[in-house]
Amino acid sequence: MSASTSYGARPWTFYVLASLFTLFVIFLYGPMFGVLILSFQGPSASLAFPLRDPSLMWFDELFNPRRTGDVVGALGRSLPLAVIVMVLTVFISVAAGFAFRRRFWGATAIFYTAIASLIVPGLVLSIGTLVTFRYLGLTASWYGSALGAHLSWALPFGLLIMFAILGRLNPSYEEAAYDLGASKWQTVMGVVVPIVFPGMIAVALFGFTLSYDEFPRSWLTVGSKNTLPLEIWTMTTNVTSPALYALGTVTTVVSFIVIAIALSSIFLIQRKRSRGK
Amino acid sequence: MNSIMTKPIQASGMVAHQGSGEIRLTNITKQFGNSYAVRDINLTIPHGSYCCLIGPSGCGKTTILRMIAGHETPTSGEIHIGGQMVVGKPPVERGTAMMFQNYALFPHLSILDNVAFYLKMRGVGKEERRRKAQEMLQRVQLDHLKDRMPAQLSGGQQQRVALARSLITNPKLLLLDEPLSALDEFLRLRMRGELKSLQNELGITFVHVTHTQPEAIALADMVVVMDTGRIDQADTANTIFNRPKTPYVARFMGGQNVLTGTVEENAAGVVKLRSAGGSVFEAKAEGAGRVPGAQMSISIRRDRIMLRRRGGGADTAGLNAIGGVVEATEYQGSYVKVTINVGGGVFVANVSDDAHFAEPVVMGDPVVVSWNAADVHVLSKVDTGAAGDPYLDGIP
Repeated sequence: MSASTSYGARPWTFYVLASLFTLFVIFLYGPMFGVLILSFQGPSASLAFPLRDPSLMWFDELFNPRRTGDVVGALGRSLPLAVIVMVLTVFISVAAGFAFRRRFWGATAIFYTAIASLIVPGLVLSIGTLVTFRYLGLTASWYGSALGAHLSWALPFGLLIMFAILGRLNPSYEEAAYDLGASKWQTVMGVVVPIVFPGMIAVALFGFTLSYDEFPRSWLTVGSKNTLPLEIWTMTTNVTSPALYALGTVTTVVSFIVIAIALSSIFLIQRKRSRGK
Repeated sequence: MNSIMTKPIQASGMVAHQGSGEIRLTNITKQFGNSYAVRDINLTIPHGSYCCLIGPSGCGKTTILRMIAGHETPTSGEIHIGGQMVVGKPPVERGTAMMFQNYALFPHLSILDNVAFYLKMRGVGKEERRRKAQEMLQRVQLDHLKDRMPAQLSGGQQQRVALARSLITNPKLLLLDEPLSALDEFLRLRMRGELKSLQNELGITFVHVTHTQPEAIALADMVVVMDTGRIDQADTANTIFNRPKTPYVARFMGGQNVLTGTVEENAAGVVKLRSAGGSVFEAKAEGAGRVPGAQMSISIRRDRIMLRRRGGGADTAGLNAIGGVVEATEYQGSYVKVTINVGGGVFVANVSDDAHFAEPVVMGDPVVVSWNAADVHVLSKVDTGAAGDPYLDGIP
C-alpha cells in the first residue's frame, strides 16, 4: 500500500516509454527534416547547418543540370518502373491470394518458395541476375532485369498482405453471391474485389514504394541508365552541393504524394461504408 | 425503437415459387477427409412445413442445410426438391434461398443494392430492379433505410434485409442457418414470431438450423434431432418433447429425467425395474426383450415429479420414487427448478412456485422424488451412457 492515495497518477513506466517513443520519432523524422531544410540552402553552398540566405537555386540546379547527374532521366525511369511493379504486384498477389484460399497440393512449398526470396541479400540477387542475363545473352535494362529483381522483392510483401486479407474474408459473402445467382466472375468483380479493395491499395502502395526506393536489387540490373536511388548514390560520391538535399526533398515528396493518395482512398472507402452516401 | 418495427412483416403480395418445396434426402453421406459429417441420412420434409434441425455443434445439422442449399456436395446419396434431383445444381435452379448466420450482407453495397443484387445478376435494368427491391424493403418495413450501408444497421434490421434479399428470389424453400443466434433475447423472441408468421403466409418450406430447444419447439412443425452425423428422431415438436425415442433426445430436448434399470419381472406388459441404486420403478412396455435381467431406460417429465422432504430413518422411497439430496434450487418465475443428487446422478424436478414456497426446500435437504406410473415414458434404447452423448447427466 502506498502512503498517499492518488487517482490517475501515471506510473514511472509511462515516462520511460514516452521518452523512448520521443527518441524513436526524432530518429525517424529528424534526418528527413534536416535534408528538407538544407535543400533551401543559399549560394554559400554549405552542406551543413546553419541555413544561410534561403533560396530555391538547388532545385533549379537539379532540373537544369550543369554539374549534377541525370536526375530528370533517372526519375523518368524510376517512376514508370515503380508503377509497373505496383500493377504487377497487385495483379499477381490478388490472383495468388484467390488460389491459396483453397488448399491445393504443394501450396505450402510454393508459399515458402515465394517468401524465401525476402531473405536473399539484395546485392547478391543483383549480381546473380546480371550473371544469368549475361549467360543467356540478354541485355540488362530497367524494364527487364531490374523489373524482375524488383518483383522478387515487392511480390512476397504483396502476397503476405493479400493472404492475410483474403484469409480474413468470410467465405459466406461468396456463398451469398452464389446463392443469389452470381457467376464466379460476377462474384469476384462484384463482391470480393470491392470488399478487399482497401487491401489492394495497401499492396499497391508497397509495390510502388519498395520499387521506387530500391537500391541493392537495382545496382547491377538496371543496365547502363540509372534509376533514381542509384543516381543519388552516384551524386553523393561526386556532387558536393546542396543539390543533393534538393533531390532528397523531391524524392521524399513523390513518396509522400503516393502514400497520401493511397491512404486517403482507403479512408474514403471506409467512410462511405460506415456512413452511407 | 421504431427502427425495429411495430408491425410484423407483411408477406401478402409475394408470389410463392411454382412447384413443391418438398425435400427428400436419400442415403446422404458427407465426408470431410476421413471423418463423417453426416452418415446415411434419410429424411423427408413435407412441402410448406417449418422444419427445425437441432443438435449440438458438430452434429452435422449445418452440413445438411448447406447440402440442401447447394453450398456443399454430398459424398454420396441423393437430394430431391419438389421431385427433382438437385445434386450438382446451383441454388437458383433449386429454388432455394439461404440466409446466412452472419447475414453476409455485402458491406460495399447500400441496403437497396443488397436486396437488388439477385435481380442485377439476372440482368434486370437498374430502374426496375431498384423499384422491385424497394417494394421488398417496404414489406420488411425498412424502405426508409434503403440508402444506408449494412454497417449502419442494427442486428435486427440486418436480419430483415437478409430476409428481403433472400425472398426477392421467390424461393420455394428458405434455408436459415441459426438466424436468431446473433440477436439479443428480446429481439430473438420477436423475430421468432415473425419468422413463423412469415412462413405461414408464404406457405413455402422453411428449414431452420438451431441449437436452442425452445426455438425449435416454438417454431417447428417438424423437429429433427441430430447427434454426431445421424438423425435420432424426426417428428412433431410435441412428440419429440413428450415421447422422445432415445435417452439422447430426452436429455437434449430438456424437460426429461432419464432412468435406467434391470427388468425384475414382466407381468402382462407392466414391467418392474430395479436401478443400480436399488430404487424400483414400474413401466408399461410392450414388445420382446422385456425379460428379467434385461436393461431398460425410461423417462419422466420434470414437471410431473412430486417432491417431498424425507422423514427419519424408516422413511424409504418406495415404488416409483428415489431418495436424494437437494443440490440446487433455481427460481424460474412460474416454477422452481430443483436439482437433486440421487446417489451420483442428477435428477431435476420442476416444482410449481406455489408448491415450492408453501414448503421450500434448500440445498442439502434430504428429499424423495416420486411420480405416477402413468407419466412414465419408455425409451426405445437403453441408456448406455455412451460417449458422444454430451447431455449425459450420469443418472444411476
